[in-house]
Amino acid sequence: MKARLFAVFTSVLIALGTGVQAWAHHSFAAEYDLKHPITVHGVIAQVRLENPHSWFVVDVKDPATGKVDRWSFEAGTPSGMIRNGYRPGVIKAGDEVTIKGFQSKDSDVRGMLRELVTADGHVYGLFGPQENR
Amino acid sequence: MKSLMMTAAIAGLLLWSAAVPLRLAAQAPSAGTAAPKPAPRMADGHPDLSGVWWRGSDIGGRGFAPGGGAPGGGRPAQPPPFFSSFYQPSAIAHAKTLSDKDDPTVHCTPTAFGTLNVSLFDVGAVGQIVQTPKFVVMLTETYHGFQIIPFDGRPHRDNVPPSNRGDAVGRWDGDTFVVDKNNFTDTTWISAEGRVSYHSDALHIVERYRRLDANTLEIEATLEDPKVLTKPWVVPKQTLQLAPFDQIMELSCSSSDTQSQKDAAPPQNSEKN
Repeated sequence: MKARLFAVFTSVLIALGTGVQAWAHHSFAAEYDLKHPITVHGVIAQVRLENPHSWFVVDVKDPATGKVDRWSFEAGTPSGMIRNGYRPGVIKAGDEVTIKGFQSKDSDVRGMLRELVTADGHVYGLFGPQENR
Repeated sequence: MKSLMMTAAIAGLLLWSAAVPLRLAAQAPSAGTAAPKPAPRMADGHPDLSGVWWRGSDIGGRGFAPGGGAPGGGRPAQPPPFFSSFYQPSAIAHAKTLSDKDDPTVHCTPTAFGTLNVSLFDVGAVGQIVQTPKFVVMLTETYHGFQIIPFDGRPHRDNVPPSNRGDAVGRWDGDTFVVDKNNFTDTTWISAEGRVSYHSDALHIVERYRRLDANTLEIEATLEDPKVLTKPWVVPKQTLQLAPFDQIMELSCSSSDTQSQKDAAPPQNSEKN
């Protein structure tokens, strides 16, 4: 399934430029529920900048119960992210972030990254920095 | 749900197509801008096609212009024809049995041509050409692929099995580099995106590359497949820009890589199991 997403991630953005409509690709919908947007706030546990897709792993604490869920958010290709201005290490374990995305269809703690905002307000999208866009 | 998503995807493609002239116009040099340098040439006098070529940025990047084509072309009344637009009735019937789930690229298999109608890109949006006195070598970042194109007059090889990207030979037609590809497998698609575009082993592609100046590469292509098409697909002209870097990266894709990533992202939080 993840192999499929490699091609799909690429083609979605190719087909639709950088628009929000990108999330609506039919094959993408096979993996993520595009009718189920999610927002989590937590602390980065791991950043996996690797082929074919990058992942942001974040620990999300329920303020009511104190329970911590470890979420994984799938992002774009490392080459695309880097070429768009992402620098390895700019987001690292321990960083506080807010992530918006779409819920996986087969996991309650996995999603597709749509937007990542750092504590100091820097915004990253599926393929890297979104400032000055 | 699926039809909804398909509709959304098609709508997106239309939006993309409509936006292309505006994006390209915005990138056109303004009056007074120095004219680009002429295309560099090899010692043999032929243009040197070497360089990293893209649309002006990467996917998701600022100013990414996915459509290519000439500036000021106006808004298309409808999406341009695609390979499958020319399917024979029997091919149309077969295509109806296929869906996005059958797209070979979901298993990391390259396309026979390319999602952006640029074979140099395959599924991605950037590629590199390295030219030597004997070969033009096309390096594709996505899937980490390559195609070696001799232009010393040799014919197609008759001792190699069919391949996903075909067997290629080149020749110079003035300043235009003409690439002829045949001997394809029949197990790939022309494009990715889940867009059904299967072809036969009779696929034949002719591409024409012309370096207009130091910064601009123009590409034309014609795909014919007499087993499935009623007539050749003449691909809209593509115009690429020289990228401001001289090395592509590796963008590999394999089932083991993707499975490893999936394993690293557990389907359920352990506390919930």
